[in-house]
Amino acid sequence: MKITALLVLKAAPETTDPVILSNASDVSHFGYFQRSSVKEFVVFVGRTVASRTPPSQRQSVQHEEYKVHAYNRNGLCAVGFMDDHYPVRSAFSLLNQVIDEYQKSFGETWRSAKEDSSQPWPYLADALTKFQDPAEADKLLKIQRELDETKIILHKTIDSVLARGEKLDSLVEKSSDLSMASQMFYKQAKKTNSCCTIL
Amino acid sequence: MQARQRQSSYRDRTDEFSGIVESRRRSIAPAAAAANNDPRSAAANQSEFSKRASLIGLAIHQTSQKLSKLAQLAKRSSVFDDPTREIQELTVVIKQEISGLNGALLDLQAVRNNSGNDERNISRDTTTHSATVVDDLKNRLMDTTKEFKDVLTLRTENMKIQEDRMKKFSKISSKESANPFVRQRPLASKPSPSQPAPLPWANGSSSSSSSQIVPSRQGEAESSPLLQQSQQQQQMVPLQDTYMQSRAEALHNVESTIHELGSIFTQLATMVSQQGEIAIRIDQNMEDTLGNVEGAQNQLARYLNSISSNRWLMIKIFFVLIAFLMVFLFFVA
Repeated sequence: MKITALLVLKAAPETTDPVILSNASDVSHFGYFQRSSVKEFVVFVGRTVASRTPPSQRQSVQHEEYKVHAYNRNGLCAVGFMDDHYPVRSAFSLLNQVIDEYQKSFGETWRSAKEDSSQPWPYLADALTKFQDPAEADKLLKIQRELDETKIILHKTIDSVLARGEKLDSLVEKSSDLSMASQMFYKQAKKTNSCCTIL
Repeated sequence: MQARQRQSSYRDRTDEFSGIVESRRRSIAPAAAAANNDPRSAAANQSEFSKRASLIGLAIHQTSQKLSKLAQLAKRSSVFDDPTREIQELTVVIKQEISGLNGALLDLQAVRNNSGNDERNISRDTTTHSATVVDDLKNRLMDTTKEFKDVLTLRTENMKIQEDRMKKFSKISSKESANPFVRQRPLASKPSPSQPAPLPWANGSSSSSSSQIVPSRQGEAESSPLLQQSQQQQQMVPLQDTYMQSRAEALHNVESTIHELGSIFTQLATMVSQQGEIAIRIDQNMEDTLGNVEGAQNQLARYLNSISSNRWLMIKIFFVLIAFLMVFLFFVA
């Protein structure tokens, strides 16, 4: 359940290459010598997928062991490199959030960008680390997970209530036996007291 | 007769019967003509009856064999090499045979009734025997028809499963050449509540991509995206659709989970209220016990008192006795 990279690109019309506006990647789990090539690979595949995503469309591509998800909204394209276990819906909601955030913070300035910008955007790096867990990105997933936990807890509660019911049943039996015995005791005592002929 | 011997569960008493016929023939010699005719025609009727019964039994056996073959074919439900035509032929043949057997059985029954009406000295055993034979054949035919129906239902179910599988496989096979996109139509039709469900598809369909390690030559990486894009246009609309559908599905799941939670809570409340009643009963029992024990204690205290005080009464009684003795002595002395 890993996100390897998040990219924001400006998707120009089909002929020109998209322009990278922001890039955040997590290559810590690759060997030291592979990191730079992995970064290049990310950049290249991201560019290709973004250029081929039509506007207002979502797209998922399987590339080797990564799934590349792309969401293009009016020229602003967000691309995410996730592994196969990452749920697709959360991926797309994450991309949605990224695009919204970008538009909020940078407005329309990105439209004029002509070459890859190299300044890092802290939000993207934060998003990368925060959303390694898909539940964070997808509210529905979070809600579903919490509901399942609640259901488990409730099942345990019902089990304990059933056990309590059994104990209460045994208690009620014992108490009724006790009341019977005490009644017999009372009657005996009364009987020995009633006949007064003492020999 | 031989065939019937093999299938029927009765003891074959034909030899005994022919022996009895011989003895009767010899004993009723004077009325030989009529007597001879009767057993013989009775025997003839009987043998015709038994011949027909044996034929029907054989036919039922053959039908059940064909039915078992049909069941095997229906069970062997593979996507490829579907023996639909053979199955349909067999089905038609079996249906015809069953209807033919029905008619033959009715004829047999009619023959038996006729033979019963014609001959007067046909024994009671013969009638019961023929009735039993007819019933047995009818039961076997009913079982065969039931099996036939079961096989047909099994067949329709398998066909449905095969249709679904065909749909899935046909979608995969048309895209297997290129590296397809993850979300496709069949995903929407197949209920997939869990998240990882779409992913095995992508895994299965990525077989065409190279199995090189990540820092691969960029030339290789170039070719696979190019192949993908050729399929791109058709996939766009279904992709959007499936995304929305998956969101809708997730919402439905959440809603149903919440419903379940509500019902669980209601059950919990019911159980706890029931147990509250039990607790009240326990409380009452304990109060009763307390009252009883207190009363008993009172009685015992009174008893103790009476025991300790009764000695005075005893002394008084003794005095009275002694007085009476003295009077008695006085009377005697």
